[in-house]
Amino acid sequence: MAVIILIIITALFFPGIILRIKSIASGRKGPGVLQPMKEIAILFRKGSVFGDTSGIIFRISPAISLSAVVCAMMVLPFGNLKAVISFEGDFIFFSYILALGKFFSIIGALDTGSSFEGMGANRETFFSMLIEPAFFILLATFAMFTGHTSFSDIFAGFHISSDHFILIYSILAVYIIIQIAVVENSRVPVDDPKTHLELTMIHEVMILDNSGFDKALIHIGSYLKFAVFGTLLYNVVVPAGINTILQIALFFSIQFVFALTIGLVESFRARNKMNKNPKFILTISAVAWIAFVLILIMTNKLT
Amino acid sequence: MVDYLIILFAVTLIYFASAERLVNYVRLIGIQGLLLFGIAIFELKEINSANMIFIAAETLLIKTIIVPYLLGRIIKRSGVAKVHRQAMPGFYLLILSIFALLFSVIIANLVLNQYINTVFMAIALFTLFTGLLLIVTHKLIISHLIGFLVIENAVFLFSMAVGNRMPMLINIGILLDIFVGVLILGFFGLRLKPRTNELTLLKD
Repeated sequence: MAVIILIIITALFFPGIILRIKSIASGRKGPGVLQPMKEIAILFRKGSVFGDTSGIIFRISPAISLSAVVCAMMVLPFGNLKAVISFEGDFIFFSYILALGKFFSIIGALDTGSSFEGMGANRETFFSMLIEPAFFILLATFAMFTGHTSFSDIFAGFHISSDHFILIYSILAVYIIIQIAVVENSRVPVDDPKTHLELTMIHEVMILDNSGFDKALIHIGSYLKFAVFGTLLYNVVVPAGINTILQIALFFSIQFVFALTIGLVESFRARNKMNKNPKFILTISAVAWIAFVLILIMTNKLT
Repeated sequence: MVDYLIILFAVTLIYFASAERLVNYVRLIGIQGLLLFGIAIFELKEINSANMIFIAAETLLIKTIIVPYLLGRIIKRSGVAKVHRQAMPGFYLLILSIFALLFSVIIANLVLNQYINTVFMAIALFTLFTGLLLIVTHKLIISHLIGFLVIENAVFLFSMAVGNRMPMLINIGILLDIFVGVLILGFFGLRLKPRTNELTLLKD
């Protein structure tokens, strides 16, 4: 249960930290850390407006997307505390429950009947499809290395081994998880949440028709998803058996560094051209595949 | 240590699939030469000293310095910066490259025996496939030349897979290097006007 509370606390500040980093990097005074939450509060007070062409799918998709992210949070462990739900193969559940949320947001976008939203849905589906192998290769490597297929067991056994290549694999895993988080949350360089041209949007164009309460749910889902990937990072980097207070401090530090990285990347890097994105995303899968071969070689499974 | 160098070598091959500038190709060829030097130093312990010095000099001088320098000069003369003439988008090359690594690992496991180092075999096969893919998917002659250099590095790695038992094979690999050096000098010595199409585009 602790992990859920920690993720929610992180999600409260995560988007604000990114905003602050971006404003400091560009020399602006910028909004406060809690500004995104204030905007969410305003959105919650508003009602939703639905187009004539949209149906029931459009109405339920924001709630399903958010609940999918909340379900995904349940299978994540925190240090030596087991996840709320833990079973063999739960990493597949984690991946596909997130995919279910995305599926509903995509068909919700298609349900509006807008050509722009269809275009955004098309792009989002394509990029999600390309990033999926990276995530599965990464998790398959974890599973092969530790001999478990549950997040709780994987991360409990990950740092026990004293093999020297753990450090190298951890660095690769951190890089891959950050890139997956960037793609999954539609951030720079794959997508730009601040873009104002519908033709260049990916995720933002999908939620153009959502307003008020529904839009707040979508934003909360996105913030939680960042914190979820940050928790994965934490589990990869920090060994399970250390002092609880130190663990909590390290958890927030890692989440802060994660937000800092995202903010700095968004400040100093331009987004990719649309036709470069598939290659960029596929390169992440290639790096995951190289990491897999590294573990194959190092664990003497390929000799 | 050798395993890390081998992995870095595989990373350079993946980078070949996603790089878009010829100068990056040349840098990668240089880095591969340096990595092969490291691999040769760490791996070939039972080989005699004269052969060892010869191999070290060949990888460090020819593969790392001379061949990339000559390629760099050709690129400068031809004025072609980007690998823009491809038979298919780089995206597909990357997919094929990932599958090539998968097949290489599977094939290396299938031919498992006590005389062959499987890790070297897998990466050598991957190098071979990458070289072939570079040749098949690019239209510029210079990319073909770089593809050939990658294949030659694959031959070097194949010979390393059985290196301690068959030092002659390594020497044959080195002869290929000298052949490529002559080939590049042939291009270099043509003294053609630096027009893109004459020097770099493969005629149909």
